[in-house]
Amino acid sequence: MDEFLEQFLLESRDLIAQAIDDLLALEEKPSDTERLDGAFRAFHTLKGAAGIVDFAAMARTLHAAEDILATIRSSGGAIAPGLLNECLTCLDLTSRWLDAMQTSGVAPATAEAEADDMISRLVGSRDADERDQAPQPQGDDWLQRLDASALARFDGPRVALRYIPSPDAFFQGHDPMALIAGLPHVLGVDVALTDPAVSLDSMAPFSCGLDIVVWMAASAVDVRAALTGAVGLTEIRELAAPGVTQAESDTSKAALLLESQLLVLQDAGSDGLSGRLASAGRTAVHALIHLGRDEAAIVVDQATAKALVERRTSPLVEAIERALTRAGPASVRDDAPARVHVPRALRVDMSRIDALVKLTGELIVLKNAIGHAAKLSQENTQPAVLAASLRDQHAQFDRLATELQTAVLRIRVLPLRSVFRRFPRLVREIAGSVGKTVRLVTEGDDTEADAMIVEALFEPLLHILRNAIDHGIESPERRAAAGKPAMGTVVLRARRESDSVVIDVEDDGAGVDLARVRAVAAQRRIAGADALAAMTDAEAAHLIFAAGFSTATTVTDLSGRGVGLDSVKAAVERLGGRIALETRPGIGTSIALMLPFSLMMTPVMTVEVAGQAFGLPLDSVLETAIVKRNLVVPIGSGHAVVLRDRTVPLIDLTQALGLPHHPPASDQARIVLMSIGPKVAGLEVDRLGERMDVMLKPMDGLLAGVSGVAGTTLLGDGRVLIVLNAEELFD
Amino acid sequence: MTDAAKKQILVVDDAALVRTYYRAALEARGFKVEEALNGLEGLEKILLQSFDLAIVDVNMPQMDGITFVRTVRAMELPVSSTPILMISTEAGPQDIAAARQAGANYYLVKPIKQDTLAEFAAIFCGAH
Repeated sequence: MDEFLEQFLLESRDLIAQAIDDLLALEEKPSDTERLDGAFRAFHTLKGAAGIVDFAAMARTLHAAEDILATIRSSGGAIAPGLLNECLTCLDLTSRWLDAMQTSGVAPATAEAEADDMISRLVGSRDADERDQAPQPQGDDWLQRLDASALARFDGPRVALRYIPSPDAFFQGHDPMALIAGLPHVLGVDVALTDPAVSLDSMAPFSCGLDIVVWMAASAVDVRAALTGAVGLTEIRELAAPGVTQAESDTSKAALLLESQLLVLQDAGSDGLSGRLASAGRTAVHALIHLGRDEAAIVVDQATAKALVERRTSPLVEAIERALTRAGPASVRDDAPARVHVPRALRVDMSRIDALVKLTGELIVLKNAIGHAAKLSQENTQPAVLAASLRDQHAQFDRLATELQTAVLRIRVLPLRSVFRRFPRLVREIAGSVGKTVRLVTEGDDTEADAMIVEALFEPLLHILRNAIDHGIESPERRAAAGKPAMGTVVLRARRESDSVVIDVEDDGAGVDLARVRAVAAQRRIAGADALAAMTDAEAAHLIFAAGFSTATTVTDLSGRGVGLDSVKAAVERLGGRIALETRPGIGTSIALMLPFSLMMTPVMTVEVAGQAFGLPLDSVLETAIVKRNLVVPIGSGHAVVLRDRTVPLIDLTQALGLPHHPPASDQARIVLMSIGPKVAGLEVDRLGERMDVMLKPMDGLLAGVSGVAGTTLLGDGRVLIVLNAEELFD
Repeated sequence: MTDAAKKQILVVDDAALVRTYYRAALEARGFKVEEALNGLEGLEKILLQSFDLAIVDVNMPQMDGITFVRTVRAMELPVSSTPILMISTEAGPQDIAAARQAGANYYLVKPIKQDTLAEFAAIFCGAH
C-alpha cells in the first residue's frame, strides 16, 4: 500500500480512539472542558488528515462535527446527550470508511451519500439542541438580503448572521451596534426594522426594533465566539464549507469568472449576440488557461467558434458547464507521492520553433553538400580534395547536430514561475494553520528548467516549505523573544548555474536543532552511536533527510506525519539532482536543490551479469532468448550462438567489463540480441530483468572516458544502475 | 507562457485618482494601460486599438459605463468581443443585473484592492 495512505490510516485510527475516549468521558461528566478540548482537537486533526489524502466526504463530515464541538466549547456549555451520540456515530462511520480504504486503497463510493446523511443528522441534532435553548427566527428569506457580489470578492469561509436583538436590549445594557462592530471580517451589514410598518410617530424610542443581517469572511466558529453576550435571536448560516473550499481558494477567482460567463450568456438577446458570445468565450478560455486547464480551454474555444457560426449560445454554455463540473482544483491532489510524470501538452514559445525551422534549413543545405561530395567521389576526384571536403562537411554536421540538440532541449523548457506561483497562498494557509505568520518571497521565477523537472518539483518543494514553516520558523512569541520580527520569511529562489538549476529554500527560523537531531537519530537507530559521534555538525544536519526521520514533537495539521524530507531527497535524486542543507542556529536554514537543466528519459532493460545489474538501452535490444548451451559454439577467440539457423557473435560481458569470470551455471544460456547499426550481436547474461524509463546521467570527471558505458542512473531503491553503450561494447 | 507585458488594458473612469490607482496595480504586473475619461472617450480608444480587457466604471459623465458596454457589444465588430470588467460603488442586485444585461463579463464592487484588480486582470488575460 501507498506509504502515505498507510500513515493516514494509522494516524486516523489513533485519533478516532482518542476522540471516542474523550467523548465517553464527557458522557460521564458533560462539563469537563479538558475532555471537550481533547475531542475537539482530535476531530480537527482528523479533518486535516482527510483533507490531505483528498477524502472530501470525510473532511466534510468531520468538519460538521468539529463545528458543533467548537460552538459548545466557545459557549462554555455542556454537550447535550443527543449531540454526543451523533458525534460518536460520526466516528463509527469514519472508522468504517477507513476499513474500506484499508482493503481497497480508495475511499468507498458510498461515502458522499453517507456524509450528506451524517451531516444532516449532526446539524439536525444541533438545531434541536439550540431550539431547546432559544427560539429561532424561521425561514431563509433573510439570506436574500445578502449582497452576492460583495461575497464573491472574498475567498475562504463566509458566513451570514441574522441578529434580532431583544426589544429590551438597551435596558439590558447591550449595544447591538457595538456587537456588530466587534464581528470578525465584516463584508457588509443590512439593517432593517422588525416591523416595517412602524412610523416615526408610533415608534417606541427605547425599544430595539432592529433586524440586522451581517455577512462576514470568517468561520462560523469565530462568529459564534464574537456573539457571546448577545441578547435576542441569532442565526448563523455558512455560505460555503471552509474545509472543502480551502483548496479552491487558490483558483476561486478564475472559477467565479468562468461561472459568471454563464450568466452573461443567459442574458443574451439578439442584440450584440456575437460580441457577447465572443467576449464570454474569450473570458472563459483565459480563465481556464489561468487555471492551467489548457485542454478545457481548447474545448471552450472551439465551442465559442461554433456558437458564433450558429448564432446561438447553447454550444458555449454547454462547454463552460462541462468545464465547471470538472473544475477540480489541482493543488491538493498534487500531494500524491512523487512520480516522474510527463505533462501531456506543452506550450512553446514561437521563437523556439523558429530556431528549429532554421536549423532544419541548414541541414538540408548540408545534405546537398554531402550529395555533391558523393558525386565528386564517383568522378575520381583527388582523394586529398575529397577528404578535405568531407572533413569540412563533417565539421558542419557536428555543429548542426549540437545546435539541433540544444534547440530541441530548449523546447522542453518552462520557467519555474509555473510551479512557484502556487506557493504564496499555500504558505499562508499552512502558516495560518500552525499559528504563525510567514511571508514567502520568490526570486528568479523566470529561471527555466526542463518541463518535466518543473512539473515534478511541486511536491518536494511543498514538503520543504511545510517543514520550514512547521519546524524552522519559530512561534511569534519565540521570535519576539529572540529579537526577530514576528513575521517569518521564507525565500524561494531559483537560479541557473552552468548546466544545473539550483533552487534554494531559505528560512529565517531557529535553524536545525542539531542536538535533537542526533538524539532522534540515535533513538530511531538511523545511525550508530559511533557513527554519530564521528559526524560533523553539517553531516548530522543532513540526517533529517534520512528515511524515517521526523523531529516533530507535536502532530500538526500538515506536517509531522512521517512523510518527511526523505521523500524529498528521493524525489530530487530521481530527477538526477542533489540536495544540500546549511543551517545556522538562531539564524535560519537553507536547503538547496541542484537539478540538471535538462532531463531525457531513456528506456532501458535491466540484466544481471556476475551478480551485478546493468541497463541496456531498449532501442537497441531486438529480442531476448533462452537457448540450450550446446548451441553456443566457440569461434576463433570468441563465441557465437546459432539462432534460427543464423550465427550471431556472442559477447562475454564479464570479459568486456573486466568482471570476475564464472563458469556457466546451467545448461541454458540467456541471450539478449542487440542491433548495432547494421550488425546483430548477442549478449549472454545471467538474468533478464525488467524494462524501465530512467534518467541517464552521463559519466563525468575521471570516468568520462570509460568505454562501453552510456551513463548511470539511480534506481528506486537507491542502487546505481550502470547503463551500457551497446555500440562501444561491440567495438 | 502568456506574457502580461503584451496585454493591453483600457481603463475607463472619470476619476483621475481611480485611474492612477488601477494603472499602478496593472503596470506593476506588467500590463500596458490606456486611460479614458468617460464612455465616449472609451469608444474612441477601443475603436482605434484592440484591448485584451476593458475595465469600466458605471457612473461617468457624457456616456455612462452601461451605455458604453451596450454600444461595444451592439457594434458587431471585432471590438465587440473585448472582455469587459465593470466596476461600481453600487452593489445592489439590480445594478449587477443591468451590467450583465448590457454585456459585461464580470462586476466588482468598489473599493477594490490593487491585488484583487490585478489578479482579475491576469485571469481575464489568461496570464500567469
